[in-house]
Amino acid sequence: MPVAWATLRRTWTMTGRAYPWSYAVGCLLTGILTIGLSYLALHAVGGGTVAADFTARTGGADYLGYIAIGAGAFMFTVRMLLWSSKALITEQRQGTLGALLVAPAGRLPYLLGFTGFALANTVVEVGLLGGFAALLGITLPACQPLAALAGVLALAFAVFALSVVLGALMIVAGEAHISQNTVFLAVSLLCGITFPNSYLPEPARLLAETLPVTSAMDVLRGALSHGAGLADLAPRLLTCLALGAGYLLLGLLVLPGAERRAIERSY
Amino acid sequence: MSGRAQHPGGLPSTEALLLPLADRLLPLRPGEPGRPGGPGPVRPPRRPRPPRPAARLIGAELRHAGRVFAAEALKQHRTMFGQPLVVASMLIWPLLQLAATYYTLHPIAAGSAAAARWPLAADPAKLLGFLATGALAWAFFFSLVQSAWNFSYERTTGTLELLFLSPAGRLVLMLANGAGALLQNAWLLTCFLGAAAFGFGSLDVAGPWMYPVVLLALLLPAMAWGALLNSLMVFSRDSTFVYTVLDDPMWFVGGVRLPVFALPGVLRVLGAALPLTGSLAVVRGALLERQGLAALAPALAWLAVLCALLLAAAVLALRLGEARAQRTGGLRLV
Repeated sequence: MPVAWATLRRTWTMTGRAYPWSYAVGCLLTGILTIGLSYLALHAVGGGTVAADFTARTGGADYLGYIAIGAGAFMFTVRMLLWSSKALITEQRQGTLGALLVAPAGRLPYLLGFTGFALANTVVEVGLLGGFAALLGITLPACQPLAALAGVLALAFAVFALSVVLGALMIVAGEAHISQNTVFLAVSLLCGITFPNSYLPEPARLLAETLPVTSAMDVLRGALSHGAGLADLAPRLLTCLALGAGYLLLGLLVLPGAERRAIERSY
Repeated sequence: MSGRAQHPGGLPSTEALLLPLADRLLPLRPGEPGRPGGPGPVRPPRRPRPPRPAARLIGAELRHAGRVFAAEALKQHRTMFGQPLVVASMLIWPLLQLAATYYTLHPIAAGSAAAARWPLAADPAKLLGFLATGALAWAFFFSLVQSAWNFSYERTTGTLELLFLSPAGRLVLMLANGAGALLQNAWLLTCFLGAAAFGFGSLDVAGPWMYPVVLLALLLPAMAWGALLNSLMVFSRDSTFVYTVLDDPMWFVGGVRLPVFALPGVLRVLGAALPLTGSLAVVRGALLERQGLAALAPALAWLAVLCALLLAAAVLALRLGEARAQRTGGLRLV
């Protein structure tokens, strides 16, 4: 726990000195323009109506609400992954990975501290996106706060687990750009972010089920727009947590080997 | 070993093509120092040449430009495009993005009220064609934003001075850097989408002569756009910010994923100033709506004007920036 707290404070101080504004504005713009695109499409093209199959698949005709929840969750996923999975490769690029490995600090608390900082940072940014959605008049009429909170925590856990695996992959490959963007685009296509993923062919849906973000999205949508309680959402919540635990275990198993490879290659 | 082998390791085919061209960038004469093998035989001083005719001058300029183009393309091939992983950004990302956009807009396009306002959207194949042309044009113009961003690293790594000291023309250099990145970045997606469009037969074209028009309407404005961006990035201190501003907002106002009529008036005016919007109008008109040259003439004329303006702005930025650099030693525009 002291390691996690120290990492959080260190990252807070470092980021406060030179906040990566361009990155943050870029992520926020992606969310804002996704919602803006669907707003213009709905009003200027669709005349306020959506196809019947959308209503049938999602259990409601609130297209903008659907997109806004998706855009918010996607921004949450992207920002958390950007911070947490790039923690180790950033140390590697700065030349401090060796020092981190030599220090008597566990890797899990270190990554938890980093993710704690990422969570504080990301919640503020997603809040800004929520403010924009509210300005456009998008509301969540049937919201279950407790279930929604459980959904957010499940998503945070799932993304943390994914970021451990992705972080290991990054330091082995020695690059972040290709791997991170491929994961982001796969999530945005597969996990039911801006459209119900039942539109996709069967193999793609099966692939989507292996990503915990898909089940976390079901929980969030159930809690935020269908008024479903924790009891109704328990199966999907458990799926998300189980998948997340699986990814976390996998990540912690491969991480020592990945660190060894990264260090051996750099000397 | 045969006399044809040029390199013990065997050059990759693209490098084998580009290297001889690029090597002649600075043709050293035998008498000059710096050439391996020491000074050559002493030659009598030259008489002043008679003035060359205009055609030869133009030829020399074109040869010079060709060498700079080849050298820049080779440099980018070695630093960026020579690795198999770039297929992800060249082909896989645009296709994933295209699929996600298609499914996102499907509930609107398949709705009851959309067909009257946007007839094209009623047919899923046409909607996909609309979005695919958008993705293609976006790939062209955004690859230049990326290459300009990469070009700004020449500032920080110290190679910009060398580029400016070399006898390569400034504007040619800016054009060559953009064009090299454009061709190496966009060819795969162009081939893929072209093959897909022919395979599905979803194109509606007035005649085969429209294909070169479409290609030129994409290539030339994109090159002019790249020249301006490169000139600005060289003299910009925060290139990441420029990159961010031109990333998502550009597809939004350019009508890449929505028809331009759906945008509010202010954004439409902003979009009209971007060459991406003009190129897209030509590409979609020619490929999806069977418009001929006569119908596209106003759009093509506007594109030509825009290209001239972009190039003029690039020249101006280069002049201003370099004059300031000579005066103050700082690499900034104003």
